[in-house]
Amino acid sequence: MLKHLCMGMAIAVGTMGGALADDTIIGFVKTADGEANLVVAGKIVKAQPGTPVQRKDVLKTGKPGSLGITLKDNTLLSIGPDTELVIEEFLYAPAKGDFKLGANVRKGSLNYVSGMVAKLKPDVVNVRTPTGTIGVRGTHFVVAVTED
Amino acid sequence: MSMHVLLKRKRLIQACMVACVVGLSGCASKSYVVLLPDEDGSVGKVVVNNAQGTTVLQAPREGAQLGGAAGKTFVVEQAQIDRDFGVALAASPRKPATYLLYFETGGAALTAVSQADLPRIRDDIKGRPAPDISVIGHTDTAGDAEANYKLGLKRAQQVVDLLGKTNLSPERITVDSHGERNLLVKTPDGIDEPRNRRVEVNVR
Repeated sequence: MLKHLCMGMAIAVGTMGGALADDTIIGFVKTADGEANLVVAGKIVKAQPGTPVQRKDVLKTGKPGSLGITLKDNTLLSIGPDTELVIEEFLYAPAKGDFKLGANVRKGSLNYVSGMVAKLKPDVVNVRTPTGTIGVRGTHFVVAVTED
Repeated sequence: MSMHVLLKRKRLIQACMVACVVGLSGCASKSYVVLLPDEDGSVGKVVVNNAQGTTVLQAPREGAQLGGAAGKTFVVEQAQIDRDFGVALAASPRKPATYLLYFETGGAALTAVSQADLPRIRDDIKGRPAPDISVIGHTDTAGDAEANYKLGLKRAQQVVDLLGKTNLSPERITVDSHGERNLLVKTPDGIDEPRNRRVEVNVR
């Protein structure tokens, strides 16, 4: 009985953790121009300065279009036209020593300026593209992904 | 395969790479990454990993194809950066600002100097489009860790209260405490150190 109760609690806590992680705001839209949207759980939301960004939202621009966000660790990400970017992982809990930043550029152009995660734990920052993965060592870079 | 054919093939590959860099069609992949200097002029480092191996970029405007051969890099002209990344670069949010406020020992009373810094922070918040802030409290190592965690939180909350009318909704304010775990000046336990009694305000 006690064993079952414990298992039940473990599942409940696990589920709660999952729900929390997906509801967490990881940053905010700061700039938006032209066709600039977020795809939130399959739904298209127009991006405007102040729109909250959560993990797994797709940042999507048309032509013309651009979009800039600032994450809670001060990372700056801005994209040009015809771009799709997803922040797949983001963890910034310096008090616990938990850091993670994983993004995926499916297509288009991205300007990246690193924040605290890259400064405190550079090896956990990854920007994935269809053909290669970019690792960041505290820095500023731009990347263009074309569909071949 | 004869030496002659090998050389010819090598030239063809080189020609294709040049074509990729200048943006002509006919290559397997035009996707590429370029390292740029940081705002302060320093240059970091970028590592590209793909099926062919690892490439390291460490010079300003040094680029590499994302699907390219390991170690193969090139210099990207400013005109090409402007053309391919001008819009993304122009869309960059403003760089966040970090302020440190200091406290009298043992409590949540700001020093007079830090008290005078508050209007400057308020102005910065008001001057940004769609601002959000994080306010993180820290303590020195005097007192026990648990009490210091709470003291850090109290200090952070005190700063939020003092900043007052900034029109930020609660979801745009992150309040946290690192207690005595993130010292600005490393000290042994039990040390009264004014520079560690601080709140860090990030304005984004």
